Amino acid sequence: MSIYLLMENFDHILLFKTNCKTTADKQLLQSLLKKQEGVDEWNLDLEDCDCVLRIITYTLNQECIIELLNNNGYECCKLI
Amino acid sequence: MNIHLYLYRYIIMRTRDIDKEQLVKQKAIESIVKSGFEGFSMNKLAKACHISVATLYIYYKDRDDLIIKIAQEEGLRMAETMLQNFDTEASFEAGLRVQWENRFNYMMNNPLISVFFEQLRSSTYHAQFMETFKAHFEPAIKQFMHNALDRGEINRMSLEVYWSIAFAPLYALIRFHNEGQSIGGIPFKISDEILWATFDYVVKALKK
Repeated sequence: MSIYLLMENFDHILLFKTNCKTTADKQLLQSLLKKQEGVDEWNLDLEDCDCVLRIITYTLNQECIIELLNNNGYECCKLI
Repeated sequence: MNIHLYLYRYIIMRTRDIDKEQLVKQKAIESIVKSGFEGFSMNKLAKACHISVATLYIYYKDRDDLIIKIAQEEGLRMAETMLQNFDTEASFEAGLRVQWENRFNYMMNNPLISVFFEQLRSSTYHAQFMETFKAHFEPAIKQFMHNALDRGEINRMSLEVYWSIAFAPLYALIRFHNEGQSIGGIPFKISDEILWATFDYVVKALKK
């Protein structure tokens, strides 16, 4: 096996700090992300103070998700 | 790049990652034991580990995912430790002795773990924890009990009755030891003599 295959790559996991605080926000997010092509899996941590949105995608970039949330009235920035 | 240098760098990277993962698990257990599931958050954990919150979320989907993964791993580790040198074909007494040794060593080497397991027992994460533990542990222990019954070494009894006699005394001693005192505040420290004297009574009670 090539050594390169053993390297862990996390580029497909995008992480954001949001203000999606409630289950209603989560439901709205669900409808948005369902329509968005390229989202393989997603999760919103409502229990965390950063309301972390975690997206698994091999095609979309961070800006694309930030724009999607901003256009729907949510704050969203890269989680550091 | 020279392949050896590359491999060297790769090994270093990998080792560091494993260390970080270990640190996260250890700190998570420490923090849950100290402040319970309610006081536990990804942010606090990241701070305690001196890593970014984002790093935690790379490995775990959310708080629940982290707790469940750690609980499952610990369940597996406990099952593996408990089955070390355990022979399903051994006599009842010899097999139970290995069980006592393994459980005792595991609890003594992981002082926080018994508190963590108690917390899991009364939480919503209990089912996932038991699932992993049972899947690895149950087949061997069932076979061992089956053999002991077939050989007529012990009487048939319910699991609850069996466990209460076979293991509750061990856990009571460990609890006294961890608390540093027994009933009525009498200072207590466990010793091999006390442990194996108790074991002998247990075997006497269970064997036909």
